[in-house]
Amino acid sequence: MTDRDTSGSSRAMPRRAFLADMGMGFTGLALGAMLARDGIVRADEGGGWQPPDGRPHFPPKAKTVVWLFMNGGVSQAESFDPKPELTKYAGKSIGETPFKDVQNSEKLKLARVTVVNDANGQQRNKLYPLQVGFRKYGQCGVELSDWVPHIGGCADDIAVIRSMYTTDDNHGAQTQFHSGRHMLDGEFPTLGAWAHYGLGSLNDNLPQFLSMGNREYWNARDGHYLGPAHDATPIRVDPRNPLAFGKPSGGLGPDEQRVGFDLVGRLDRLKAIEYPDDPALAARIKAYELAYRMQSSVPEALALDSEPKETRDLYGLDDPATRDFGMQMLATRRFVERGVRFIQVQHGAGGAGAWDAHSGLKANHEKNFKAVDKPIAGLLKDLKRRGLLDSTIVLFASEFGRTPGSQGSDGRDHHIYGFSVWMAGGGIKGGLVHGATDEIGFHAVEDRHYVTDIHATILKQLGLDSRRLEIPGRKRLDIDHGQPIDAILV
Amino acid sequence: MGIRQILAAIALLAGPARAEETVDYRTRIKPIFQARCYACHGVLKQKGGLRLDTAKLAVQGGQEPAITPGNSASSPLIDRVSADEDDPARMPPEGEPLKPSEIEALRAWIAQGARAPSDEQPERDPRDHWAFRPPTRPALPAVEPSRWVRNPIDAFIAAGHQRRGLTPQPPGDRRTWLRRVSVDLVGLPPTREELDAFVADDSNGAEGRVVDRLLGSPQYAERWGRHWMDIWRYSDWWGLGAEVRNSQKHIWHWRDWIIESLDADKGYDQMLREMLAADELYPDDLDKLRASGFLARQYFKFNRTTWLDETIEHTSKAMLGLTINCAKCHDHKYDPISQVDYYRMRAIFEPYQIRTDMVPGELDPEKDGIPRGFDAHPEAKTFLHIRGDDRRPDEGRVIEPSPPAFLVSTPRGIDPVTLPPEAYQPGLRPFVVETHLAAANRRIVEARREFKSATAKLEDAERVAMASPFADDQPGAAKPDDSRPVEGSRLAVIVAARTLEAAEAQRLSVEARSAADRATRGPQAPADLTASVAEAARQEKLAAVAKANEAVSRAELDQFRATPEKKAGLGKKVEASRVALEAARQTAASPGGSYTPLIGSRKTLESNLETEDSRGKPFPRVSTGRRSALASWITDPKNPLTARVAVNHLWSRHFGRALVSTVFDFGRKGTPPTHPELLDWLAVELVEHGWSLKHIHRLIVTSNTYRLTSSSRGVEPDTLALDPENAFYWRANPIRMESEVIRDSLLHLAGELDPTRYGPSIPVADTSSRRRSLYFVHSHNEHQEFLATFDDASVLECYRRADSIVPQQALALENSPLATSAAEKIARRIESARPGASDRDFAREAFLTVLSVQPTEAEQAAVVEALAAFAVASRKAGRPEPLARARVGLVHALLNHNDFVTIR
Repeated sequence: MTDRDTSGSSRAMPRRAFLADMGMGFTGLALGAMLARDGIVRADEGGGWQPPDGRPHFPPKAKTVVWLFMNGGVSQAESFDPKPELTKYAGKSIGETPFKDVQNSEKLKLARVTVVNDANGQQRNKLYPLQVGFRKYGQCGVELSDWVPHIGGCADDIAVIRSMYTTDDNHGAQTQFHSGRHMLDGEFPTLGAWAHYGLGSLNDNLPQFLSMGNREYWNARDGHYLGPAHDATPIRVDPRNPLAFGKPSGGLGPDEQRVGFDLVGRLDRLKAIEYPDDPALAARIKAYELAYRMQSSVPEALALDSEPKETRDLYGLDDPATRDFGMQMLATRRFVERGVRFIQVQHGAGGAGAWDAHSGLKANHEKNFKAVDKPIAGLLKDLKRRGLLDSTIVLFASEFGRTPGSQGSDGRDHHIYGFSVWMAGGGIKGGLVHGATDEIGFHAVEDRHYVTDIHATILKQLGLDSRRLEIPGRKRLDIDHGQPIDAILV
Repeated sequence: MGIRQILAAIALLAGPARAEETVDYRTRIKPIFQARCYACHGVLKQKGGLRLDTAKLAVQGGQEPAITPGNSASSPLIDRVSADEDDPARMPPEGEPLKPSEIEALRAWIAQGARAPSDEQPERDPRDHWAFRPPTRPALPAVEPSRWVRNPIDAFIAAGHQRRGLTPQPPGDRRTWLRRVSVDLVGLPPTREELDAFVADDSNGAEGRVVDRLLGSPQYAERWGRHWMDIWRYSDWWGLGAEVRNSQKHIWHWRDWIIESLDADKGYDQMLREMLAADELYPDDLDKLRASGFLARQYFKFNRTTWLDETIEHTSKAMLGLTINCAKCHDHKYDPISQVDYYRMRAIFEPYQIRTDMVPGELDPEKDGIPRGFDAHPEAKTFLHIRGDDRRPDEGRVIEPSPPAFLVSTPRGIDPVTLPPEAYQPGLRPFVVETHLAAANRRIVEARREFKSATAKLEDAERVAMASPFADDQPGAAKPDDSRPVEGSRLAVIVAARTLEAAEAQRLSVEARSAADRATRGPQAPADLTASVAEAARQEKLAAVAKANEAVSRAELDQFRATPEKKAGLGKKVEASRVALEAARQTAASPGGSYTPLIGSRKTLESNLETEDSRGKPFPRVSTGRRSALASWITDPKNPLTARVAVNHLWSRHFGRALVSTVFDFGRKGTPPTHPELLDWLAVELVEHGWSLKHIHRLIVTSNTYRLTSSSRGVEPDTLALDPENAFYWRANPIRMESEVIRDSLLHLAGELDPTRYGPSIPVADTSSRRRSLYFVHSHNEHQEFLATFDDASVLECYRRADSIVPQQALALENSPLATSAAEKIARRIESARPGASDRDFAREAFLTVLSVQPTEAEQAAVVEALAAFAVASRKAGRPEPLARARVGLVHALLNHNDFVTIR
């Protein structure tokens, strides 16, 4: 009787349960089970589809992604795409300048308006002068604003992309930058979720997809139809309380807890004899083991006090202006070192995002750049000297840019027709400017890129083909996949 | 694209067909046609007269030939599919071109003679699709052994076993059944006492009595209420900061209605009618109007089309199992639903908006009220949006309201509903009048109290002034006003007096306006009516004068009390208030013949553009009747979908697997039922038993099928090999508990669950609440942290819950204060029930309490060993009572056991 049981069950062990046992991650398993349950994959169809096995589809150039996102919309003209013409024609309406064509452009039809007649997201026609100077940085001589001296110091490692566009003229564009879809289309997995879904673990002691900083409500989750298993694990840069339910609430000592975890593992395994072929049991055993390790591995990764003074200075940890973001950047490096696959850091809490400078742009951007410039440069330098930058892609982005014209007396409005992001590391060419906007930074005119081109570029470097990640019943559009920006790749 | 086609397409990726290799039509070619061509060249449509749903029809061609067997070079089909993307002739016209490997396969197949099985059948008429034909009660299959069959469900399941050669597992043990049915029906595990009582009761009907007890318990309605809240997308309001952008405040009234309705076992058909059209069917019944929270939930401030799209999509998916949403931009590719049908459906909802009706005792709609739907724009026209683009309405043609034409066997008229006056003028509702009056009276009482206290203060000030007579009015010296207490107090008395006057005037105004409201709607002589209205106008204006007068006195007092530098500015305010008073007086001098009726409801802003003016317009007296027509069509016993979809929802939650696994798509793209006769039998049973959900629950949980063990241990190898996914119920499926059940069960076992039902949603930050989890605020923005860890419902769409397994769940059960304190309390309860229990006995008790099973010998051994290790660790940690601590540790470990969060 017993013999027959054993042979019977092992023969028929579903492949998904096997994957879970192999440590391929219970995440794919959960999705597989969900699809089977919901009839999207049917038993009678002879197993055409399987969740990813965690291996790249082709040899990767990068292992890790650091996704830095500035909430609210960074002014491209005052950062990575300086436009002296704005100063020259300051106060003139666009129609009075030689660039009046930008308003007649077919390209204005890009906008899919979310909030009708909202005061925000309008075209602003009176040109507003640059609020900061700019100069050439690095060997490459790329022109960047005076607000990013430290990032400018890494110019030769960076590829600036000045020709981004998107279609949501309100902050739903945050969601859009992460998922590739306009918020009126619904909710779709973010790039981090796809990477997490597609690739196996680099470290069995840490979650592979982390998020730090403030997520606005447009963009609060990641997995969507891939399932909540692919949501980022939120991390606070506070070693005493780094993650939800991260330490015992009853003052349980480590030895006592170890006994408890061991007992749970043992009892679950005994249950598995009684209930063979139960993939949930196998997955839960794995999940418990990772959970136990996370309790120490996460605080350990966040033990920033162990870093030398020189490193602290590199990230600006002792300057109140840079401390908060500096800690997140240093934590990011430590997570990269430890093999976390995708680290998403959002800067700028409050309102629709701290960068949303409808008024007082100068003070706003000066303060925000002060907070992030040195820490981001610190991260780039630190990764580089540790030999980690080659395998780590760093992206700097925000949901859109800001208008060439002024809003009120001293602000800029949302601007979707042309804005800048930059990337570094992970097989990205440094010291490069790709794409361009017109003279006043209104439209992207050369090498235009929709946000999913960034996704495609990153996935390519990770060795993933987004089309092979697609799951049955969830056909994606061409534009969802995007095109890799090969011109910036080594 | 269906899964078959996708899989086939994936298979094709393996490599292009080589010419010498025979291309199999069935596996290589038909899937391409099916996925990319049938929508226009099949049974739904025959563009160019061409059908491709059989090889024979393909060869036959349409107005032009398509395929020349044996000669792919002269087959226009190949030219079309391999044409340039910009070429208008390219097929398929939408989406990606066919892959080179697919074109190659087509070419080779044609070259090889376009061969296909001779018995190939064309696509069937979509109207013949199983789900579009009304269910009829099938005969019960005769099966052996008949003792396996406890009720008709078992007969159908057993027939499935026999047809497929499956041998079902035996029933699980009785304790497991009790836990299963308890968690399933009421969302809580059985208590120790319930467990013992059930095990001891070996009489006939013991199970039936348990089921009756559970279905009769108020907890049933909370448990299943949450399921229906998933399906109907319940969500508390959310937006940006304090601005409501989605759903509505106080939507919890709808939640309470759901619970009450299930508790009373209101017919499912009646529930749907009330949700869709209570405002037309029961226009003055506030209890029933709560149901139209379903409509209020759909609210989206910024885009009316998005709002209506979601309303259409989820009404259709949840109630009909139809993906009508797929026909928004073009005709449905699988079901006979045209794009016009989509906009016909939209026309049903086009006139509706949201308003919040006052509830007894609360004037402020921000604080309470019933959010509900009503037809605000009976005249609103619906136009088809060209290619689904709301910027391109086809204004040449007004679309008339109707459910999808193909499902309407007997077209019925839509009759406008004349509303009773209380419905379109809720100020007439007696309780609204009472609430206004009570508020006015409260204000009078308050004003009297203030007047008394102001007078007393003035007397005190005067007494003090008498004692030092020069304090107030010393000549010459400039003194700040607060050193003139008598003057200040005198002004304060004036304010209090005017406030009282205003409060009294307000009461007169409410009374007069209410009388006029009644007169306008009642059988009054015209002379009396005119008099009432004139009096209301007069009193309303007088109240305004009194209010303005009060404002002047307040402004004067403020100015008097202000520091010298602010006096000038406040002087302007005094001036302004006097001007306003004068204006009010002038108005009152000739009050005219119009007045503001009492407010009994506030309309929700239609969009961010709506003005207060348009918002304040009177509500229409007639409702279009469109939604009640829709409701009556949906709940018609002959509607082929409604009952089937409902019983499938129930089944999937009882068995962890649906009969039709695409629960929101019963159309041609959906999955066919695993047990079509059973589904139909249940659907007919539901309708014929007054749409009683409890009746179906009872049938299901008292079936033999429901009793089977979820273990595959000892199963016949053939059974496992033939049906490894258990699609045919040869065993039960273990089900991960929903997040709410996990939290509620922890509290229940700890003896702490607060059974209070109903009421406003509990803030997510409230960690002290011990009420059931479904009462927490739950919206797109706000999730209770513990619940979110275990996959709470997505408010955007949740026809099935996710059941992820992630480490954060382990951390929540291991480390949350909720789980930790539950472990302590459960351990204490066991100790006090069994004082002095040995470790073995304690272990057994803990298993029975937490998991409702007895430990096996091996489990007991593991536990006893762990208890010793716990004690050692606790002693090492310097705890006062290491042995007691160890037992808490054991209970805590059991709360972390896979089977604690599993319905076995």
